[in-house]
Amino acid sequence: MRRIVLSLLVLGALGAAAGAEQLVVYTYRSFVKWGPAAAIEEAFEAAHPGVDLVWVAPAGGAEMLSRLIAELASGGSGADVFLGISAMDLPRALAHTVFRPYDPALIPNLAQVPEDLLFDRTGHVVPFDHGYVTFVASDALREDLVPRTFSDLLRPELKEKIILQDPRTSTTGLAFLLWTVARFGEDWTEFWRALLPNTLTITKGWSEAFAMFEAGEAPIVLSYSTDAAYAYITAGSLRYRVLTPDGEAARLVEGMGIVRTSEKADLAHAFLDLVLSREVQELIPTSQWMFPVNREATLPPDFARYAVLPEVPVFLDPAYAAEHLEAWLDQWQQVLGTP
Amino acid sequence: MRWRGGAGWALALLPLAFLALAFFWPLADVLRLGLQVDGRWTGDRLSALLADPYVRRLLLFTLDQALLSAAVSLGLGFPLGWLLTRYRFPGKGLVRAFTLVPFVLPSITVALGFILFFGRAGYLNRFLMGAFGLGEPPIRVLYTLWGIVLAHAFYNAPVVARFVNVAWERLDPTLVEAARVLGTGPVRAFLTVTLPLLLPAVLSALALVFVLCFLSFSIPLALGGARYATAEVGVYLFARVYVDFPRAAALATLMLGISLALTYLYLRGGGLFQARAGGVRGQPTVPLLSRNRPIRSLWLGYLFLAALVFLGPIAAVVADSFLRAAPGAGSPTLYWYRLIFSPAWNPFLESSPAGSVETSLVVAAGATVLALALGVAVSWTLHRVRSRALETLLMAPLAVSSVVLGLALLFAFRRPPLAAVGRGPWAIVLAHALIVYPLVVRAIRPLWEGLDPSWVEAARTLGARRLAAFFTVELPLLRGGVLAAGAFAFALSLGEMTAVAMLAGAGVTTMPLAIYHFLSAREFGAASAMATVLIAVTAAAAWAWDRAGARWLGRDHGGR
Repeated sequence: MRRIVLSLLVLGALGAAAGAEQLVVYTYRSFVKWGPAAAIEEAFEAAHPGVDLVWVAPAGGAEMLSRLIAELASGGSGADVFLGISAMDLPRALAHTVFRPYDPALIPNLAQVPEDLLFDRTGHVVPFDHGYVTFVASDALREDLVPRTFSDLLRPELKEKIILQDPRTSTTGLAFLLWTVARFGEDWTEFWRALLPNTLTITKGWSEAFAMFEAGEAPIVLSYSTDAAYAYITAGSLRYRVLTPDGEAARLVEGMGIVRTSEKADLAHAFLDLVLSREVQELIPTSQWMFPVNREATLPPDFARYAVLPEVPVFLDPAYAAEHLEAWLDQWQQVLGTP
Repeated sequence: MRWRGGAGWALALLPLAFLALAFFWPLADVLRLGLQVDGRWTGDRLSALLADPYVRRLLLFTLDQALLSAAVSLGLGFPLGWLLTRYRFPGKGLVRAFTLVPFVLPSITVALGFILFFGRAGYLNRFLMGAFGLGEPPIRVLYTLWGIVLAHAFYNAPVVARFVNVAWERLDPTLVEAARVLGTGPVRAFLTVTLPLLLPAVLSALALVFVLCFLSFSIPLALGGARYATAEVGVYLFARVYVDFPRAAALATLMLGISLALTYLYLRGGGLFQARAGGVRGQPTVPLLSRNRPIRSLWLGYLFLAALVFLGPIAAVVADSFLRAAPGAGSPTLYWYRLIFSPAWNPFLESSPAGSVETSLVVAAGATVLALALGVAVSWTLHRVRSRALETLLMAPLAVSSVVLGLALLFAFRRPPLAAVGRGPWAIVLAHALIVYPLVVRAIRPLWEGLDPSWVEAARTLGARRLAAFFTVELPLLRGGVLAAGAFAFALSLGEMTAVAMLAGAGVTTMPLAIYHFLSAREFGAASAMATVLIAVTAAAAWAWDRAGARWLGRDHGGR
């Protein structure tokens, strides 16, 4: 018994002793599973010898942000940078003072980002990619069942064939919720009620949902308009079809910022600048499967051909959304509650 | 002998003080947050909670699935109990041993097994689609209420089987024989004699299964998606995902009330359901496989179904850990095993996979030591001081769900004095010790009763102080039982995920939590390899517990 206690103490001491300089970046799971995280880490550590870039990504984007807010409220977080905050979540982050203002002079590559993508006018968050959230169908779905409109999505033949994400924990899930609000106004809950029978499951994050879709658990998933390009470039296959119901898809811009409590502002700025560099931005299309924000970054031809740009990009005014979001999420929970 | 009571009370103060600090005080914090608004005691939060249709739906669903789970567990478990009582067949010992497995099998591994085996693209559906040329997966239970119910049945049917088996073994076989002699047919004799006599055991098992499923967490968390969440999952979501502590505390308060009421009813009911001890003679058994009694082939059908539900998911996990194609390595492969023992940082786990294995072992060792210390102290106290009130106080953690306990410790470790201990794995060690020690008490308490008091008296007469007598006489005599309970505690701590999910902070990842994260990232190969290792280690601990139990405890030891 004494030996066990001793080994406990020794192990505890070992755990505490690990200590090269670290830059800790919170992000969402899929940025590590799919995105350019490994390439960024390699480039960053090569440029800053002795610094260890540590990714922390156990959950989806909105959930990671909740966690960061909770950590900051109770004594501080180990995070230096948060990467993967969407424009929709920005008001929540600003309300809790998650970020410190960045210094544009320390992010030279920011000059290459078009004005209309700078969604945070308060100077805390810089964008790193953008794209469209929409439905994607696999070729397992019969041709005549492929939905082209919102009402097609409600057809009884699609019973339990759609995988959605939870707007409380997932960025894509939230984008879809706001999309339905933008499209249906007051009646959005009616649409959701009608959609539930066709929903196989509502996952907490996008990566579970997409992996289930890839494994063939269901033929339709809420995902990104670049998924056809993804299937073509990675597998030479046209098996995924991007659906833009009634021509629409939800616009998504994602950003990153330096955590308020970080004591490594210089490294953090260097990290932001690296992510905006042309080299990393050119990795965004075929790893993150989003559009780059650096105007100098060129798109691979196949990506440009198969990534779908919707006729009607849908984007809810963030200030309006922020004001009502809590009520909408409550209503959404209640829709789920109706059997 | 008045001094006994007095000394007993004095010594009872030690575990009581510990529980006050580590259990009652943190729990009071949850109640305070749940029942106070601006420093005033009020039911406002509770009534707001109950007015919320989402929460009402959570509670209703929790009730629904618990009732269904109990019913399905009975349907699957009763025949198993019957089989074990009435029939002889090769491998019976193995089947009997298997009914113990669910007590310690980590629930996250079961959830993983269900996804791999029963998923629309799982082993079973792929096999059926290939064999019958189907275009659609025929088995569609996962991601529905029934997936959760079936996974609960996986856990609880063996509990029912054990209850039925034990009660049936005790029945006096002459009662049925008398009925048969008087001309009653076998079916009628079963319905009018055996079944009514088994009813108390069946009801008791159903009540236990209902309580366990009502408080279920890991399985609905992993299988339910956003639509099928139980109330316990609700507490976790409110606290850890949406960071709404007042709401989490209010729901936790409600669940605490419900679980206390259920435990009380169960314990009260236990007396009513007590089966009468019967025959001196064991139940007569007949061979299962017999050529001239074709009716027994019905049993083959049942065994096939049971094998599908019980063995399918576990086999799927083990198979998947070798067969899941590895990046650039194909299949079969040991890639996933190399990965889960790798010391490289994994962003999904917030730790290295090897680090999570290490954390699990350290936490389980610490929790075992603490649970044994508490268990010995509490059982000794309860042996010496007969007091219902004291027993209720000392065994109280038994009636509190792991989610609520986790929430209480989450709050407690944010403030002094516990904040000084540091968050890290200590909160988890404490949580596991609190979850496990009541079971340790249950296992070793009867041993005190069996000790001959004259041993201690002899030591005292020879001049030993009371404490010295305890350490040199009583404890060594109990050593075997304590070791057995320790193996059990170790296995439970290794597999426990509920409190870990509530308490995990940066860098503290245990094996079950690592499996959950791998599962969520849909890294099935890694999840399966980690789950296979976890199953092997807990099975080894359970085996040690069973062997040591058979040797030292010399009695049937069920219960969780």
